[in-house]
Amino acid sequence: MAEILVYGAVISAIYAMLAVGFTLIFGVARILNLAHGSFYALGAYGVYALTADAHLPLFLAAAVAVLLVALFGVAVERVLVRPLRRSTLAVLMITLAVALMVEQVLLLIFGSEARNVPSMVNATFDVMGADVSGQRLLALSGAIAILSALWFFMQRTRLGSAILAISQDAEAAQYMGIPSDRIFSLVMGLSAGIAAAAGVLVAPFQTVIPGMGLLPLVKAFAIVVVGGLGSIVGSIVGALLLGYTETIIAFKISIEWSQIVSVAAVLLTLILRPAGFFGKRAAF
Amino acid sequence: MRQRIVSLLAAGAAVALAGSWAGAAFADEKPILIGITTAIQVQVGRDCVDGAKLAIDEINAQGGVNGRKLQMVVADEGEAAAEGPKTGIAAVNKLTGEDHVDVLIGGYDSGVTLAELPHISRAKTIYLGIGSASPSIQQKVKDDYEHYKYIFRVNPINSAKQAKGLLDYITGVLKGQLGYKRIAILGENAKWVQDMVPAMKSGAEAAGLQVPIAEFFDVQTADFSPIFAKVKESGAQYLMIILSHAASDVFVKQWYDAKVPVPIGGIDVKGQDANFFDRVGGKAISEVSTNFVLRAPLTPKTIPWWDSFVKAYNRAPVYTASGGYDAVYIYAGAAKRAGSTDTDAVIKELEKTDYVSARGRVQFDDLHEVKDGPGFVNELFVQWQQNGERKVIWPKEVANGKMIMPPWLVQN
Amino acid sequence: MSEHRTDWLGALVVLVALALVPAILGSSYITGIMTVALCFAMWAASWDFMSGLTGRENFGHSLFIGAGAYTAGFLNVNFGASPWWSLAASPLVAVAFSLVIGFPTLRLRGPYFALAMLSGAAVMQSLTIIFSEYTGGQDGLNGLFPFFDSELTQYYLTLFFLAATVTTLRLVANSPWGTILRAIRGDEASCQAAGINVTFYKIASLMISAAFAGLGGALYAHYQLQVGPDLFAVILSINIIIMVYVGGMGSIYGPVGGAILLILLTEALRAFSEYRLWVYTLILMLILFFLPQGLVAPLWRRLRTIAQ
Repeated sequence: MAEILVYGAVISAIYAMLAVGFTLIFGVARILNLAHGSFYALGAYGVYALTADAHLPLFLAAAVAVLLVALFGVAVERVLVRPLRRSTLAVLMITLAVALMVEQVLLLIFGSEARNVPSMVNATFDVMGADVSGQRLLALSGAIAILSALWFFMQRTRLGSAILAISQDAEAAQYMGIPSDRIFSLVMGLSAGIAAAAGVLVAPFQTVIPGMGLLPLVKAFAIVVVGGLGSIVGSIVGALLLGYTETIIAFKISIEWSQIVSVAAVLLTLILRPAGFFGKRAAF
Repeated sequence: MRQRIVSLLAAGAAVALAGSWAGAAFADEKPILIGITTAIQVQVGRDCVDGAKLAIDEINAQGGVNGRKLQMVVADEGEAAAEGPKTGIAAVNKLTGEDHVDVLIGGYDSGVTLAELPHISRAKTIYLGIGSASPSIQQKVKDDYEHYKYIFRVNPINSAKQAKGLLDYITGVLKGQLGYKRIAILGENAKWVQDMVPAMKSGAEAAGLQVPIAEFFDVQTADFSPIFAKVKESGAQYLMIILSHAASDVFVKQWYDAKVPVPIGGIDVKGQDANFFDRVGGKAISEVSTNFVLRAPLTPKTIPWWDSFVKAYNRAPVYTASGGYDAVYIYAGAAKRAGSTDTDAVIKELEKTDYVSARGRVQFDDLHEVKDGPGFVNELFVQWQQNGERKVIWPKEVANGKMIMPPWLVQN
Repeated sequence: MSEHRTDWLGALVVLVALALVPAILGSSYITGIMTVALCFAMWAASWDFMSGLTGRENFGHSLFIGAGAYTAGFLNVNFGASPWWSLAASPLVAVAFSLVIGFPTLRLRGPYFALAMLSGAAVMQSLTIIFSEYTGGQDGLNGLFPFFDSELTQYYLTLFFLAATVTTLRLVANSPWGTILRAIRGDEASCQAAGINVTFYKIASLMISAAFAGLGGALYAHYQLQVGPDLFAVILSINIIIMVYVGGMGSIYGPVGGAILLILLTEALRAFSEYRLWVYTLILMLILFFLPQGLVAPLWRRLRTIAQ
């Protein structure tokens, strides 16, 4: 029982980080960013390359990796997405192409075999009777910290209010003098950075392979749609639901069925609530 | 005296003429084309190619086969997960239909190989499998010899035989040496594993052990904590694992980090890699994984072959490397004995193969399968011990070390 | 000459070219990849008919492909039925699947519809692997046999069905039906208010799309002689959408060109060995970035204006 609670929390936290970033860029800029999984993968590979090849200390490598991926996200938005913004389908396709490209480049540079990222915390902890690795607890606390910081940023800073304003009504925000183009780039960087942070936190205990971004992307997509596109609260709720459903099924029945049950649950939710739980553009 | 000089000169001229004519004939001989079908972006694929290349270079240096040089043509099978079997089928068609290779060597994913078989049969080309383990592949040789006589398996031992090997390990080591009464079985959901696990379960139960858990997981599973928790709760004393495409690195890391009080062992293809231990930061300690070749004197050829591979490519080989290498030599041997590359003649000679490789002695049974067991190719149970040292702990005849427990179970 | 006349003339030229190429180049390799290309073309065209016209992007088209392919597999391998039965059964089974997934997802639009369809295909993929006793699991069903011993003849059969598919879909798309489907994309509410039975058209277009996808699945199964869970995969659906996009959405014939182009491209790039997919993705990226309207359909439209 304790295991389900703790492991479910860790999974949900990671899903939440991925989903929130995804929904943020959609809510603000109407971009369905299929390269989101790539940011996650790049975060993991970034911390690997910086520790294994550049020999930076682990925490520094993590920070640098997140920063670099955030910048990459900004670059993708400026160079590839912005010229195509008129067509949502075109944006979808180009971000898809970015995702495929990133996977190929990672494959060519790092090879197909899984890469090892050392844990930041090596101890094992006993939480309510469950043996949990320190790294997982770090991932959980890291996710909570980052999402709290995001909440604070959105609610308490001018920039955050500007972002919320744009997500509610882009035209009106523009009339108010808010530079939407620059905000879009910023939000993309933010979204990429959060995804990369997720990648950095899980890299020590998850498989670091070039294709590691596909499944998290599909899950983030599912969570965001079920939670309600553009709603950050919805994404967090959705992440908790998906994370715990998967964990409970895996523990109680089998790992094999956990995947199919969660997919079926997504399908069922869509059939019953076509606009997701929280609909569009709910404020944070 | 003059007569002798003239005859000497004449003889010399004749020899020179004959020599140049033979040399020209050698140079004009079409090379024997060896087609390699494998997933070239993956480690196992690259090792197949490199192993074959090593053999080809050696054979060519010694004069080739029947006066002809060997030449390699590689065609990518693509990643089965991303592209399905269609790229593999196209690769087979290209090598047979366009390049007209004399023999095909390769294979990794059983699904792809099975899909390729009818196309290989249609092309009437010999296929020496070096990576796929499904028994269904060679079963076709028995079911339809006329159409599938071209198919041979050089490597690895097929999964049904591997299952028997695992059962021997369970009864011999787990029950016999350690006195365990309860074990758990976990495998990825590849077809050959799904077929293997029920047999293992009933075999273990017949030997008097309890098997409270026998489960599968999807290859993409990233989180094994549920299964570790369940195994702990069930009271199982050992966890038999069967991992091939799955993320062994993550599996052992998560097992180590959670200090699961249950030792693990079984089939772990990625765990065969020489650098696996370092890759996971030493967290594979005490894991037992089956291996077909490692740097140990399995045969007189093992260590020299291992070293020459490392010298040529600067990395340790994985199981497909010895497969690719052996396949080339086995084909070359058969072609030499047949005196030609005529397919039916070579098949007859292949069936009579008796070749000592780095893995053991290779002979084929009536399903064109590599024979296993004492005297032939063995399934070795190898354990990762301190500092990344590997010791063979089973079968008894070839064991060179004692089994250890995970470090956190040692303090009692 | 009217636009439509030119279109049909162009189609005829392409048809003849497709018929001649394998016969002239005559290797099992070329015939093989062309057959695969034609199957993908059928899948792309069928996707375009529903999603291209109504704007409801279906991210789970592989559901119908897999359904059709496995039907062919079951009939052929488990019951020894002649491959010709697959041609009838596969579209029917695919249509059945489309009804099962189509009705519950009627109300969904945009990303919600996309995700629901994707989930449907993903569920089928997982089920196929879990119930491996019946489906052959990851390895799939092996031992299907082809329509003809000659690969070339089988290619012509596939070509015939592709031509029939494109002709049928174009005729429907250019008919009042097509107009209604396009209207639904524009403003569903107005259509409803105008008395059009929107539900009927949505379901019907999905059924038609599924039928031709299933047919393509059967033809593919009897070429590849194996069916596996990869035919239900998300990545297959996505690849088809990319082909449609490169071809030019909404034109039906554009996706055919896109599919053939991209399949041939993946093979043609073999010379790049391990860089093959990287180069492919690069080319794809350039096309997607510089040609948001696609490559094939706009090209044809330009040729057509020149010809007229």
